[in-house]
Amino acid sequence: MQVYEPFRAGLPPLIRYWKSLWSRRTFIAEYSRSELREQHFDSLFGQLWLVLNPLLLSAVYFLLIVIIRGSSDVTRYVHLTATLFLFYLVANSLTGGVKSITAGQRLILNTAFPRIMLPISAVVIAVAKFIPTLLIFFIIRTILGAPYTWEMLWAFPVLLITIFLALGLAITISCINVYFRDISSFLPYMTRTLLYLSPILYEASALKPKLMAIQEFNPLFPILDSWSRTLVHGQAPQGSSLLTGLAWAAGVFLIGTYFFLSREREFAVRL
Amino acid sequence: MELIFSYQGSANLLSASNSHATHEIAISVRGLGLTYKTSIDRHPTLKARAKSLGRRGKHVRIIQALDDVNLNVEYGQVLGVIGTNGAGKSSMMRVIAGIIPPTKGRIEVFGSVSTLLALGVGFNPSMSGRDNVFLGGLASGMSREEIEDNFQEIADFSELGEAIDAPMRTYSSGMFSRLAFSVAVTVRPDILIVDEALSTGDAKFKEKSLNRMKELRSEDSALILVSHAMATLREVCNDVVWLHKGKVVQRGEPNETIAAYQEFLHVRKSAALDEDV
Repeated sequence: MQVYEPFRAGLPPLIRYWKSLWSRRTFIAEYSRSELREQHFDSLFGQLWLVLNPLLLSAVYFLLIVIIRGSSDVTRYVHLTATLFLFYLVANSLTGGVKSITAGQRLILNTAFPRIMLPISAVVIAVAKFIPTLLIFFIIRTILGAPYTWEMLWAFPVLLITIFLALGLAITISCINVYFRDISSFLPYMTRTLLYLSPILYEASALKPKLMAIQEFNPLFPILDSWSRTLVHGQAPQGSSLLTGLAWAAGVFLIGTYFFLSREREFAVRL
Repeated sequence: MELIFSYQGSANLLSASNSHATHEIAISVRGLGLTYKTSIDRHPTLKARAKSLGRRGKHVRIIQALDDVNLNVEYGQVLGVIGTNGAGKSSMMRVIAGIIPPTKGRIEVFGSVSTLLALGVGFNPSMSGRDNVFLGGLASGMSREEIEDNFQEIADFSELGEAIDAPMRTYSSGMFSRLAFSVAVTVRPDILIVDEALSTGDAKFKEKSLNRMKELRSEDSALILVSHAMATLREVCNDVVWLHKGKVVQRGEPNETIAAYQEFLHVRKSAALDEDV
């Protein structure tokens, strides 16, 4: 039996919610696939563009580094591509997630389903877009002759933490956008700021002591630092970085999901 | 009353997990009230919020969509819902389906609910008809295996032929709604809620979909139909409720209720009443 009563902010029964979400996993996959296809990622040139876009971006940023610093080397370029591609996984989750609820209006108004499915599929899409760029990264890395080590396997937990963080961010921002629609216009500026605050155009170790404070407020900082250490330098990441990254991800996920779940029954009237 | 078809064959897979006895309560609605707050600003934004900080009172209009509605639906019933535009029909369907929370009252639903409130929900126009059958089916809660087992039936019913593999944006609106309807009626929940989805396609397909609706009636499921097509309701329903301005005006035998509703409309000098639209 299902009971519907007046809306009160509060969590729905979590076990039932999870079951109903789990039963829709094929729908999430299919929904994400159709969105990807809509953006032509099933075609050859669509995928080529997917790879070309971050490649061109990394070329532009590399040019920027060379001009500002006056010199550069191969490792720096490998570092730039590695972190930039991972950054775009998070940035794409945010841009996909922010409108996931408001764009799913027709679906929300006409069917009952766990609404969290929509930001989740935004992250699934972002991950699907990330995978080809990861392949490109390994090709670049091999061509430029960076050595392979066993420590690089640390990339897996780092990637998982990143996806976890992206999920939390997508859920949070999709919920905020229901109440403040102009957040989607601010988003490009926020991601751009985040990009410059992250160790992408520079390495974390090169940061001036005065500016060290920014790493405390940037959830991406420890993750990108670990990612660079393992994939670029072939070293094991610092345990403290991994733990800080995980703590950020868990915190964002828990807070965002709490707000989302306690508000989602109201979304239909807010759209 | 016509013969009630019991649907045999592969479609049985889609039947609800637990069967329900006739006259068992399917939906119980108690003291249901629903008010919408529509803000004058079209979308809530930070900017609007900042601007209204200094002012007292919010720019909202309150709409009473449903007011103290009490309603029981039993298994085996086919309930027609009639009323003028803005009577609260669609709102009530959304509340029963759990899409919109009520403002007042309590709704108890005993069984699985599937809604057909709009055609082609979840469809993606850039995908082929075949892909959309899966997408739409999954959106309405079917499993992939169930859709695969019923795919041929859906394709045949939609009469699309070869076009099923063409992208849906190339479809005519009639083809689009034919496929959407075919997917929707394949779901076999305990309780099916249909909002004006019968008026689809040409006369021939309309008759076909009407027959399908009749097939969907069975002793162990409940069906709620919102429609302005009085002739259809007379033919399909065994119970009709008339809503007006969010309140139940009359409930009972289809012919009686529809006659009362039509008399009310005539008094208000409306035209084109018994049109099958």
